[in-house]
Amino acid sequence: MKGISFLICISCFVFLSHESCAQDTQIKGFIGVLTTYDKNKVSFGFDEQDLFITSVINDRVSLLGESVFKYTPSTPTEFSVSIERVIIKYNIQGNHNLILGKVHTPLNYWNDSYHHGRVFYPTIDRPLLFAANIIPLHTVGIGVQGFDLGKLRFGYDLFVGNGLGSTEILDNDKNKSVTVAIHIKPADRLRLGVSWYYDVIAKGASVHNKIINWKVNQHLFSASVSRFGKKLEILAESTAGINHTDTTGSKTTFASYIYTGYKVTDKIIPYLRFDNINYQRGEIYYDKNNTTSIVAGIRYEINYLAVVKLEYQYQHSEFSDNINKVTGQFAIGF
Amino acid sequence: MRSSPGSRGLLIILLFSMSLFAKSQESTLIAVGNQSGAPAAMKLSELRAVLMGEKQRWKNGNRIIIALMKTNTSVGKTTSARIYEMSGDELNKFWLALVFQGKAQPPYFFNSTSDLENFVAQNPGAIGILDKPITDHEIKAIMIDGQKTF
Repeated sequence: MKGISFLICISCFVFLSHESCAQDTQIKGFIGVLTTYDKNKVSFGFDEQDLFITSVINDRVSLLGESVFKYTPSTPTEFSVSIERVIIKYNIQGNHNLILGKVHTPLNYWNDSYHHGRVFYPTIDRPLLFAANIIPLHTVGIGVQGFDLGKLRFGYDLFVGNGLGSTEILDNDKNKSVTVAIHIKPADRLRLGVSWYYDVIAKGASVHNKIINWKVNQHLFSASVSRFGKKLEILAESTAGINHTDTTGSKTTFASYIYTGYKVTDKIIPYLRFDNINYQRGEIYYDKNNTTSIVAGIRYEINYLAVVKLEYQYQHSEFSDNINKVTGQFAIGF
Repeated sequence: MRSSPGSRGLLIILLFSMSLFAKSQESTLIAVGNQSGAPAAMKLSELRAVLMGEKQRWKNGNRIIIALMKTNTSVGKTTSARIYEMSGDELNKFWLALVFQGKAQPPYFFNSTSDLENFVAQNPGAIGILDKPITDHEIKAIMIDGQKTF
């Protein structure tokens, strides 16, 4: 009953909000082409094609949608379409918004800033903690956010969602995931953030194409520092993932990366990124595979919509072959 | 000591470039607003915060709508450098990123100052940046740090 009342309230907000501007819809996109030199051969390819739509519905309501078309060898057409974000935003007051829909879980700077826009990435690929599924990339649910509040330009995100193991339209259990993230911007181009994520993953849930055979209580604590100055760029993030099961107790995984770049000119930025993921012995929720990687590259920003990157990566993993590869990427926005 | 015609030419080009540079540094900007929304006077730091997308609404509740000259115009270049402390490309990337993150609505960019003035006049909550006194008296000039220009 409370849920129905809440929905009625939201509907009233939406329909009663004062309409003072015409609808304004924009469609933009991102894509990149790649070439890699790995295992003594050169390959060509392309990244996912990302389309994003923004629309101002009225004075208080706006929409952001992000859809990705990508190569997926397991499908009959070898391509798939995924809805990455559907965000209906209602401006409650000032810089405080109500958020409904599917979001990139706002517990991590990279996840909440770059999304699928390769042209924004400071390196060619996302940090390793993404591929290792350390953090939940998406959450479907409801939340509130605020930003640029006060002198420290304080911001917050509080989000309640279906949690891991759920589908896009149905929760798999009664438990809800909770994300609490706060940040400050005490100086120009500097942002400091911390976050906490909690979820209970039900026994039998399917998460990242894997059946979880134990009930898992998950806490994720993340912290980030970003400073994209006029010359020096630094982005460092670390997540401690604590997974508790009745049989193994609590096991902690640390996943971190640090990126640094230096603007030699306005357009040329050499950079380095170091990644490290370290799992505690006995971890059973994540796929334990201690990994270290270093990336060294150079970025050439033709303009704000076209960026060329060339980088070398060395990756060492506990249970996988080492990776030694050179990758080139031409990413564009359109 | 006599200079060669080549070096004299170089000197003239250099002086001309310096004078252009100095002119762009000297050129002044004017903040303008719709009669509804933007205040009559602001501090430069407040104007910067508004134009950086750090505020969504004016005190009277109007949504803030930002109107700027395109970054390849001279006013746009001065606006990017003076207010945002960015190049035109950096400014475009800044806004694209902010919109992509779902954190702000993008500014409206114009080729001509008269189009910008008309837009500001027609949209409550709109604020814009020009480089010359307003011709459209349906909009108001906003004093910045107590000055008409900045």
